[in-house]
Amino acid sequence: MSAPNVTPELQWSVEQFYYREARLLDNRQYQTWLGLCSEDISYSMPGRNNLLVNNRERGHESMIAVDRELEGIESDGCPIRDENYIYLMLRVERSFKINAWAENPPARTRRIIGNVEILDIAGDEYSVVSNFHLHYSRPGARDFFYAGQRRDRLLGIDGDYRIRRREIVMDMADVNVPTLGLFL
Amino acid sequence: MVDPHSLVNDDASLISRRCWSDASVYEAEKQRIFGRSWLFLGHESQIRNPGDFVQAYMCETPVILSRGEDGLVYASINSCTHRGLPVCRASHGNTKRFVCPYHNWSFSVNGDLVAIPQEKQVVQRPDKSSLGLKRVPRLESWRGLIFGSFNESIEPLEDYLGDMRFYLDAFLLRFPAGIEFVGSPQRWAIDANWKLPVENQLGDVNHGPFLHAATIPAEANQEIVDYGYSVVPRPGHGATFRLMPADAPVESVGWGFESIPGQTGGAELQQYLREVHARAKELVGPIRSRMKGLTYGIYPNLSFLWSNAAFKVSHPRGPGKVEYWSWSVVPADAPDHLKKILRTNHTSFFGPGGILEQEDSESWMQQFRGANIDFADDRPFYYGLGLGEEKPHDDLPGLVSNTANEYYARAFFQRWRDELAVEM
Repeated sequence: MSAPNVTPELQWSVEQFYYREARLLDNRQYQTWLGLCSEDISYSMPGRNNLLVNNRERGHESMIAVDRELEGIESDGCPIRDENYIYLMLRVERSFKINAWAENPPARTRRIIGNVEILDIAGDEYSVVSNFHLHYSRPGARDFFYAGQRRDRLLGIDGDYRIRRREIVMDMADVNVPTLGLFL
Repeated sequence: MVDPHSLVNDDASLISRRCWSDASVYEAEKQRIFGRSWLFLGHESQIRNPGDFVQAYMCETPVILSRGEDGLVYASINSCTHRGLPVCRASHGNTKRFVCPYHNWSFSVNGDLVAIPQEKQVVQRPDKSSLGLKRVPRLESWRGLIFGSFNESIEPLEDYLGDMRFYLDAFLLRFPAGIEFVGSPQRWAIDANWKLPVENQLGDVNHGPFLHAATIPAEANQEIVDYGYSVVPRPGHGATFRLMPADAPVESVGWGFESIPGQTGGAELQQYLREVHARAKELVGPIRSRMKGLTYGIYPNLSFLWSNAAFKVSHPRGPGKVEYWSWSVVPADAPDHLKKILRTNHTSFFGPGGILEQEDSESWMQQFRGANIDFADDRPFYYGLGLGEEKPHDDLPGLVSNTANEYYARAFFQRWRDELAVEM
């Protein structure tokens, strides 16, 4: 991967895209949000394991590399989520039915997107990582805090973007939140 | 502790809220239910090679399930015999030794103590042969499913499962090479009592059309009304399924077709599912080849979700907390690229981010809250739907009824009550 030529304008437009996306999600405008997804999207969340240390990697950064812990869609293991556009459509449809009881009344969310970094540009496709903090409050329960990283591939279309691939790396060691089924 | 017979009435149609919320009931459950039963530990496909191990739990007690250098399966309590720390911190892996971080006592993968670094400096050397990790005294398996028990005099696993084997085999024998567990379990905490996920999977088909109305189509619910059965092969166990007509087309009876990957996973996957079904009659017989499973439960806390190919364990963490584990399972001899599609049977629909299961865990949390309120002890929960309507069946072992009958839960709570009443 060569260092891409990221102009301030490009950086600005990608960040604006993410801020708009965050606003749509926190406003529960999931139907509008789905329009930001490419129909060939891969949307996934790897599992995250606690592993033995490999003695031979002692002293090297690879020994405790985050990627070792991930059980993602390319692995032979089992990711937590492995979804295409159909699954996202199902989730969006469900959200607007009166008997989606886990979100009735709906949870309040507020997310901050940061550390937006464009790692690679290949034609009209941009590899971008970003971090999120999300505050989640479901009626009758305590409040929850989510943190993680999104590893995206964005498709550039006429100065706008579509999400073509999103891998969500959650940072919790033990899952103590009511759901990982959010749009993140 | 309160008398269990005051918590569950004779026919178990009325069940006290305290069953799910009382701390003294929970403490008794640990000893009298979990201390006496066969508990699920893992599947042989998770520990194929010598040195392989996975973590497991027996109630709140951490256990290492491993394959020793001798090729045999071992289960040891994950707690150092010196100061009690867990000697294994990884969720799975392959190793020759488990080394306690505190003073470096080290144990072989089958739990034997092999080294005490300090022993050279003391005169009276400890007897290492008596200081291995505590071994789970009973260990048996059924078609690759490994169970352990702290009850040394427990009946053999085959007898414990009883006629549940007939229903387990309807799935497990359907695949010539058996099944395998895919990767690590999804693990997540739910603010609920451990029995609530268990009951849901044991036979609570009744909630489907209502709680899941946002995701389950009406035709699927009608199929359950038309062809569904709820069976109690032995009190505490349960199996729910549809027995499809003999002339049902393969797409409506074969395993996997009703899932999203079955419908959208492509022609090659559908062809594979057709081939699996083509051999079903030969492998599991004419009746069981028509079975299209829903959910199963094995006393006390193992569940199997046939429709979405997952095994689940509800690990108690106090009266009001569950650590729920679930594994996706696939036919062991399916091609690797099809396994990657088949595993999505489970991911995305179930588990902590599951489109369907998020409604379930919400209900378990809410039922727990309802079980934990004051001033309503004179209103126990009503578990009496279909009381006495379960009957023997010519082709299906156990007591059989339609899926509206709550006998599965009454039988569970009768067994639970009677075991809880017997002191250690």
